[in-house]
Amino acid sequence: MAKDVKPTRKNLMAIEDRIELSERGHDTLEQKRDGLIMEFMDILDQAQDVRSDMADDYETAQRKIDMARAMEGDVAVRGAAAALKEHPEITTQSKNIMGVVVPQIESSKVKKSLDERGYGLLGSSARIDEAADAYEELLESVILAAEVETAMKKMLEEIETTKRRVNALEFTLLPQLYENQEYIEQKLEEQEREEIFRLKKIKAKKEEEEAKEEAEAEAAAAAAAVEEPEAAD
Amino acid sequence: MSAAGSSNPEFVVARVRARRGQLYGDEEYRKLVRMTPAEIARFMEESSYETEVNALGSRHGGVDLIEYALNANLAKQFEGILDWSEGSLYDLIARYLRKFDAWNVKTVIRGVYTGASQEAIEVDLIRAGEFDDRRIRRLLEADSIEAVVEALEDTIYGEPLRAAYAEFEESDVLVPLENAVDRAFYERLLENLPGGEPIRQYEAFLKAEVDFRNATNALRLARSGAEIDPAEYFIEGGELFTRDTLARLARNVDELVEYIAESQYADELGPALRELEEVDSLIAFEHATDAALLAYGDRLGTIHPVSVTPVISYILAKERETENIRAIARGKEAGLSADEIESELVIT
Repeated sequence: MAKDVKPTRKNLMAIEDRIELSERGHDTLEQKRDGLIMEFMDILDQAQDVRSDMADDYETAQRKIDMARAMEGDVAVRGAAAALKEHPEITTQSKNIMGVVVPQIESSKVKKSLDERGYGLLGSSARIDEAADAYEELLESVILAAEVETAMKKMLEEIETTKRRVNALEFTLLPQLYENQEYIEQKLEEQEREEIFRLKKIKAKKEEEEAKEEAEAEAAAAAAAVEEPEAAD
Repeated sequence: MSAAGSSNPEFVVARVRARRGQLYGDEEYRKLVRMTPAEIARFMEESSYETEVNALGSRHGGVDLIEYALNANLAKQFEGILDWSEGSLYDLIARYLRKFDAWNVKTVIRGVYTGASQEAIEVDLIRAGEFDDRRIRRLLEADSIEAVVEALEDTIYGEPLRAAYAEFEESDVLVPLENAVDRAFYERLLENLPGGEPIRQYEAFLKAEVDFRNATNALRLARSGAEIDPAEYFIEGGELFTRDTLARLARNVDELVEYIAESQYADELGPALRELEEVDSLIAFEHATDAALLAYGDRLGTIHPVSVTPVISYILAKERETENIRAIARGKEAGLSADEIESELVIT
């Protein structure tokens, strides 16, 4: 990997910038991951309560409708259900938990009063009222559970994504950048050492040549001095 | 056969006594609560329900077969009683059995309202009332609520339904129509009763039924906290409440409970009222009113042996048998224990 990088000072500076940015990103993502986990734990507690309530409500509702079907007859229960006009409605909005968009479900027309259920009061019984009450409560629990569990699922997905990013930075990108940085630094140091060595060599050679030239000059000067008196003679 | 002619209680009571002997007793109930739904159907097939179980066996199965066979047998028995009865006896019996006409009218209205098929509506009818096949056919052929109201024009439900139809059209909710049908039934229950001691006994029973219905509805309203005028749900004819008393008491559960606990029904309903304070449910109260009515019915059967009262007593016992067998079968289907089912049965 590191060999793909050109060991230049410019690249080293770019890598150092990327390391700084990645370290900052890593810290931020780690904080986000920890925050999400804390939020998730709160939602998990809430989800466990909601699920347990929903299981209880389901059991109660099932028991009430079984009793209503047993005592009033299946036909009477189906008839009372058929009289319902206004069906429950839900609307979804969204809210933001640490950057995660989770749904917020608003329900309407779930809980109904006696005169809103459609069946006549004079010819029906309290068993049917109680079964209807229990199912209305169950429906509210289901809607709440849908909201909380969807939020939990989205948080979990976001935690996974953030964790993957943190791990990618921590175990892949940063080590790779450090390796590249080290490689370039080593290469640059090596180049520097070579340069120094080369300069020293040049300098030595130059000095040697200068010394040689000087010696030659001195020799030439000495030879000239010997020749001049002879000519005068 | 009809309200014309002289009354024939001797003839009817003799036949009713024979039929009463075929009703299930404690021993049969003890066996039934330990059977599976399939075994219950088999047990019924080997008793007085044979014809209905065999006739319906190819169309229904499981607990549905039991319920439809029970309803069909109930209808056959009561239709027979009306066929045998003549004169004032017919009128006295028919006024109680009209509750099944009210049931059928409500079933047809609900079916038309939800767009159910004619066959689906027909299977849920209990032909134990006064309506003949022609009337039932007209009701089943009605393709709108207005057509149902028109088909009932010449019955006791015609006028009240016509009046409630405008409210239904405005709100598109069945409550006014269903209440009009039930009110028409209850208000004619005690209308123009002839004199005589047996009739007085019968009247006392009908008044108790109206009182219990008023008390149950008042408790339902009081506990629901809904913004409903309780006087709208008052049924005339009982002795326990007047319209004003009911309107006042239905706004406060405690006062209402105290009022019923101090009434003439204190012995029958007292324990259930105490339970009402402990458990947040009206079921025990309804159970107590059912048991009290059945006890009244049993007494009716013994005081005046040749009158309308033994016939009414049989009708109540037969209804109770139907409800008990259905409760056992449905309870078994839902996985309730034998003890739980037994606690729901009303047997005297």
